[in-house]
Amino acid sequence: MMKVVTGVVGNDIHVVANRLIDISLQARGFEVFNLGVNTSLEEFIDAVVETDADILLISSLNGEAEGWCRDLQFLRSEYELKDVTFVIGGNLAVGEAKQSDIIPKYKSYGFDLVFHQIDLNTGLDEMERYMREKQ
Amino acid sequence: MSLLQKERDVITRNEYADSFDFDEIEHFIQNAPKELFISHHFKKRNGVLVQPRGGFPTYKKMFALYDEFMKADIDVLPLTIDSNTRLNDYAMAKKMLALSEENEMDMLNGYPLVNHGYRTTRKMITHFNKPVSLRHGTPDARLLVETALASGIFEIEGGPITYMLPYSKNFPLDKAFLYWKYVDKVCAKYSTLNEPINRESFGPLTATLVPPCIVIVIQLIEMLLSIEEGVKSFSVSFSQNGSMMQDIVTSNVLKKLAREYANMFGGEDAIINLVYHQWMGAFPRNKELSDSLINTNTVIAAMVRADKIIIKTRDEAFGIPTMQCNAQSVANTKYTLRTLKGLPAIKDEAEEENLELEVRAIMDAVFNDPADTLWRKVFNTIKSGLIDVPFSPHIINHNAVITIRDDEGNIRIIDKGNLPLPERCFAYEKSKVTLPPTQTEVINKIIHDIGAML
Repeated sequence: MMKVVTGVVGNDIHVVANRLIDISLQARGFEVFNLGVNTSLEEFIDAVVETDADILLISSLNGEAEGWCRDLQFLRSEYELKDVTFVIGGNLAVGEAKQSDIIPKYKSYGFDLVFHQIDLNTGLDEMERYMREKQ
Repeated sequence: MSLLQKERDVITRNEYADSFDFDEIEHFIQNAPKELFISHHFKKRNGVLVQPRGGFPTYKKMFALYDEFMKADIDVLPLTIDSNTRLNDYAMAKKMLALSEENEMDMLNGYPLVNHGYRTTRKMITHFNKPVSLRHGTPDARLLVETALASGIFEIEGGPITYMLPYSKNFPLDKAFLYWKYVDKVCAKYSTLNEPINRESFGPLTATLVPPCIVIVIQLIEMLLSIEEGVKSFSVSFSQNGSMMQDIVTSNVLKKLAREYANMFGGEDAIINLVYHQWMGAFPRNKELSDSLINTNTVIAAMVRADKIIIKTRDEAFGIPTMQCNAQSVANTKYTLRTLKGLPAIKDEAEEENLELEVRAIMDAVFNDPADTLWRKVFNTIKSGLIDVPFSPHIINHNAVITIRDDEGNIRIIDKGNLPLPERCFAYEKSKVTLPPTQTEVINKIIHDIGAML
């Protein structure tokens, strides 16, 4: 069973979406470690190390994820988390933004998969396909 | 000096608060006009009391808001507190209040009561001579409530569970119980001087598919915690949940059990009131549709025989309403209530029996916890998921219960997590819903059910 650490990054209290992600992941057969809302990047990384997770799935709804995720590349190399798949999804910009700008930007921060304003189940389908190909 | 009085001295000795003169405050409460006590209005009322929400940073604007409300023949004035004060950050509230006063722009989302102080605020409350209800969301409301009571605000909303599980990720729940114990003790103490101070619980919780049994259990528990400390007037509450039948069933069971459990805990002389909240979920962005939703809610409030209704405005989807818009909503609600006559009394015996069994089963689980005091029993019960609030952000909450709407809009439990529901009750809940074939469709339906009024 693959392990996923998930949660909402930053000062973001959008618990409804977080809970739905949790239920959806469980329904798809993942073991879920849900850190809930208001979570910092450091807390996510700690949990990934502690649980030996396969996937870190960060969500953000109020658009402030960018400010919180810039250090991911650094933390990823510091903890040697090469095998972990990093996913971010939700509403990834404050105000309007184009997919073509957002996706490369977050990939440069160290995310393998980036979902900006994508339907939850579409995103999770994509993530599962990516994990199958990776194995 | 009693231990409580020592604690009160420590709490009220705060650089941002007025210096408290407790003898003067007692004298004021003893001689305060009955009109200021909502408990007095509950006793003599004929009909549903109407109360909006509302709070502005400056004294001037708060005064103007009350003026508008008075023109709409309001029954209960609200005093909504800003979010800095709710988190006990009086320094920031002070700074933002100063900016609001200088720039004629609202830099706070409510009235910073502690910074204004009781001597100033009391002038406004006694001027309007209407009961005022304190609306906040504060885990540690000790200083805030002391200031409110000294100001002439004789209804205090909130409680250790209902102001914690929907609002906070990691404020310690055990501390919240003790801070609210203090609030209840002070309210009880002042209740012996004149009419009783009314305490009100916040039944809507997360307002996201919360099943009635959870709402009722938490209402009963907060009521019992207050009664234990000597509170003599208490309002239980809930919000529109999407099915008129389920609202009526909730009201019937809540009223019956509140009286029964209050008596069981030595609260025979306590007055129990019912408060109904208009829809607490997401509102449509169309103002005319919002008016329609509000009107429907008012009809249901009358159907459930509420003692007070807390109203929304047509601006709900857009943020804090203007004072004119807010006052208009009061006037509209009063009009609907005035013209609504000859309401039938409705019962649904099967639904009421099922709900009552569920509530009793969870209450039994609370009482059977081996801890020595009620608050510790409740704490343990929440910790072990025997009480579980859907969509709570708090780390102590289990988040294992899953609910969905049936074809009639009733909220039904499809995964009971650790809730100690009798098998037949859970079977009843499940029998009412036909779930879509795949989990993906179930989740899409839950998303749809959350936004039922959009």
